Amino acid sequence: MTGSSLRGGPDPVARAAVVSMPARTVARPWLTHGARRLMFGYTLLAPAVLYVMLLVAAPFLFSLYLAVSDANVGDPVAHFIGLENFRAAWEMDLFWLALRNSVVFLVVAAVLKSLLGTSLAFLLLQNFKGKKLVRGLVVIPFTLPIAISVLSWKWMYDSQFSVINWVLSRLGLIGQFGTEGWPIWLGNPKLALIACILVNVWRTFPFSAIVLLAGFTSVPVEVLDAAKVDGCSFFQRFRHVVAPMIFPILMIGFLFDTVFTLSDLSVVYLLTQGGPANATKILPVLAYQIGIQAGNLGRGAAIALFLVPLLLPALIIVLRNLKRREY
Amino acid sequence: MNEGRPVEIYPTGVNRRGFLKTTGAGVAGGALATMLTARQAPAQIKGTTLRILQWSHFIPAYDTWFDNVFTKEWGEKNGVKVRVDHIPHLELPARMAAEFAAGAGHDIIMNAASILTRLYYKSLLDLSDVYDGAGKKHGGWIPSAGPLVQVEGRTYGIPMFYILLPMLWRKDLFDANNLKAPDTWELARVAARTMKAKGHPTGIQFSQCADANLNWRSLLFSFGGREADETGDNILIDSKETREALKFAKALFDEGMTPEVFSWDDASDNRYLASGVACWIHDAISAYRTTEDTNPDVFKNTHIGMEPAGPDGKRVSVSSANVYMIWKFSKNQQAAKEFLTYFLDEALEGMKQSRGYNMPYLLGQAKKPMPVIGTDPKMQILQDFPKIVAFFGYPGPFTTPIQEVVNLYVLPDMFTRVARGQGIEDVMKWGMGEYRRIFAKHKRA
Amino acid sequence: MAVMAERRAMRAPMTQRRKEIRRHLLIYAALVPFILIAVFPIYWMAITAFKQDPDLYRMDNIPFFFNMKPTLRNFDILFYQTNYGSWLWNTFMISAWVAGITLLTAVPAGYALARLKLPGAENTGIAIFLTYLVPPIILFLPLSRIVAELGLQDTWWALVVVYPTFTIPFCTWLLMGFFKTVPMEIEEAARVDGCGQAGAFMRVILPISLPGVLTSVIFAFTLSMQDFLYGLAFVSPGDQKPVPVGVPTELIRGDVYYWGSLMGAALLVGLPVAILYNFFLDRFIQGITGGIGK
Repeated sequence: MTGSSLRGGPDPVARAAVVSMPARTVARPWLTHGARRLMFGYTLLAPAVLYVMLLVAAPFLFSLYLAVSDANVGDPVAHFIGLENFRAAWEMDLFWLALRNSVVFLVVAAVLKSLLGTSLAFLLLQNFKGKKLVRGLVVIPFTLPIAISVLSWKWMYDSQFSVINWVLSRLGLIGQFGTEGWPIWLGNPKLALIACILVNVWRTFPFSAIVLLAGFTSVPVEVLDAAKVDGCSFFQRFRHVVAPMIFPILMIGFLFDTVFTLSDLSVVYLLTQGGPANATKILPVLAYQIGIQAGNLGRGAAIALFLVPLLLPALIIVLRNLKRREY
Repeated sequence: MNEGRPVEIYPTGVNRRGFLKTTGAGVAGGALATMLTARQAPAQIKGTTLRILQWSHFIPAYDTWFDNVFTKEWGEKNGVKVRVDHIPHLELPARMAAEFAAGAGHDIIMNAASILTRLYYKSLLDLSDVYDGAGKKHGGWIPSAGPLVQVEGRTYGIPMFYILLPMLWRKDLFDANNLKAPDTWELARVAARTMKAKGHPTGIQFSQCADANLNWRSLLFSFGGREADETGDNILIDSKETREALKFAKALFDEGMTPEVFSWDDASDNRYLASGVACWIHDAISAYRTTEDTNPDVFKNTHIGMEPAGPDGKRVSVSSANVYMIWKFSKNQQAAKEFLTYFLDEALEGMKQSRGYNMPYLLGQAKKPMPVIGTDPKMQILQDFPKIVAFFGYPGPFTTPIQEVVNLYVLPDMFTRVARGQGIEDVMKWGMGEYRRIFAKHKRA
Repeated sequence: MAVMAERRAMRAPMTQRRKEIRRHLLIYAALVPFILIAVFPIYWMAITAFKQDPDLYRMDNIPFFFNMKPTLRNFDILFYQTNYGSWLWNTFMISAWVAGITLLTAVPAGYALARLKLPGAENTGIAIFLTYLVPPIILFLPLSRIVAELGLQDTWWALVVVYPTFTIPFCTWLLMGFFKTVPMEIEEAARVDGCGQAGAFMRVILPISLPGVLTSVIFAFTLSMQDFLYGLAFVSPGDQKPVPVGVPTELIRGDVYYWGSLMGAALLVGLPVAILYNFFLDRFIQGITGGIGK
């Protein structure tokens, strides 16, 4: 683009400027093609940036302030107390439990999503009749409003009327109602976390599959064919050709998913409220209970923000890396 | 524009009226005061709007009556446009936090179960005159009402009604097994044991939910246990009585319940009863009503029982409190106060409209026979509950540390751990540790 | 010999077809569990919506079929005893406005970041993405203040203002991908023909990228329905709520769940959205593809 401006460019105004008044152009640098491009570009960018600055960055800074103050819902005045809230959170056993639960949640969900998503993506790559219909059906969990689909699951997990248990028990895979073999999904500390994870996976594995599908289809056919001609087996092709090419897409999808899963309150809140016996208490739920329900805003903010300093550098590094790969 | 800076303006009219109200009550009964009130009110609040936020009552008809009849009539009489909004009671704390942060929102806000008056009192209007006036007019408040809403001698909220959690038991099943009515916890336990074998166990939530906080405290206090002393500063959980209660709970679980109770939420015991399985439950009266709608056969045989007595004959019923408050940033404080006064006066009408569930805090209104429950033979026993009603923190007040203890479900967790097999001494140590940590944190802050 | 060769020749196309059928069957067999998992809850919701209440609470009833006559009573409650009609309208309006705002902000931003080689573009792109790190439970308090200052508290406009905070970042990134797929030559050609920078954008690039733009609009539209916390915090009047907030707050009263109506409400909103999504899935994939790798 810059090249064309030297020629006087396709832009008639620029051309005119260069041809007629070279001295003037130097004296008014903002009229150069490059400068105008920048102005145009920043103008286009401005609305989005402004919106995000005003409605996300500013509140974020406020919440940082909350985290280092003794802000309390009762008191209009808050005092700066440094890292006291973080230290207090550190000391809570419950905090470490919540952190552990959050991490377990994230890792298990990610593994399940990758497995299910990859299998589904492979299947959707194939050509078969009714592919569009299947794709449409499979995406449904992702499109339902979250509060509603989680409530449906709550009813499906009910300790008495669970349809899942009904089916499994009729199939003979689990015990009868009232016996030890009847799983109480949301009441057994050992089962509750996996129950929540399953709901999260159910909701988002279509998204993973779609992202993967996008990745697979982005691999140019010629490259794949060339590899086939070279005699690579399916798995070799996958490992050496496909995987590196879709790695950026996988990374982005993985990052979005990590961030969304770690900060998601709705699933656990609507299913178990963090119980039973704190088995599903994850960081956002704990922050909500302490910050809002118990009114200790400073401590709630500290807990909620805890993961940010950990994730931030990781995110930045990964994203920069990806960008570099692209160019 | 709201700055969040409190500006208290009490037009002289209010003080005058308040005075007239109390002397009026002394001179010529409530009627005169009401007449005087009605005559004075329109001049000052006519043409204003009043916004109220409250929970969605489990009796939908009550909300319909409240929104479309009760507030409308008062509004028309006083020239005030009243608007009522509803959200689930569990979300009221979040909404309160949002309105506090915004410095704007409704005029009147309500809390159900989770009473945050003491937490927000600095941003709430001082309602001592309304509170004291109503007390004088209606024979005084029940003793546990004041501590819910009073800080440093001033009152910041009006307890409007509470919801009882009595025993709901299947008389047909009891009779069929020659069992005595569950008048004591021991009898309840025996009944559960006998009937679990026949496919009719019982259940109380061993989980993190509002009912768990209420039910286990009823058990604990009836066994003689105590949460905090009258000043609210000292934790009294660590006691012989608490250990007895914990031991009893474990026995009750082993003998009379199934493990599904660990996953129960507030609605699960309702469903247990309505499905015909439960031999008895200890639950909010809403369960009684839903059963009427969903399983008439079971409903016919379901009876309401008195709070079971502990080993020493003590009965304490922990109820779910409902408190109304006015924000300091409200632009219509006067109308709000007048409405609350009127609401208090009409509390019995509210009780009738809620089919007998909204229990009044004012002793004068708790005289027998009470609306609905006074005439229904099965519900008459509820009239004896006001004497034994208590709230969180008993026998102490519902303070901020108790608030956090309740929100973090410490007490239900203690009972759950014991039921799951943890040793009583370990659980006591853990529980006391949590209590102490929370109390210390609030002292520090 | 010849006969056998002939036979072999005849067999060849049949085996090919059989292989094809077998392949199809295998694929379908593998897909069945996925479809079941994805679709079963919808079927469940549909059945529950038409069941009578007592039918739900009997242990011996088969959950999959109607044991008592199906009823429209739940829908009756939904439309006549709650503000469901308003909720539907509000949801639609909110999503439309949010999609519009997202369109106006993310399309230019995506284009600028993708094509104009702005210095600092890389970092701006990353920074926009990072906004997702801030948990909504923290944001909703200061946002509450902002909403009140704007005078929008307790109206659905509050949500119109707030929702773009989570639709803009993702849509920007998605649109970046779409714009990158437009060949540079087209843009150059437009310039040669005398369009300015803005002209090239409006008259040439946008029309070509229309599918991509539409996709991100749809995505923003559906993402607006995924919120629960903000709606709860900012909108309390019954007739101002959108469906995802109205359903859990007014169909659960105290500890009584009105499951039939809950499921009915969910169904009426979920299905149309799913169908709409289906139409744009292809473009969605294209956009993600373009975002990386090409």
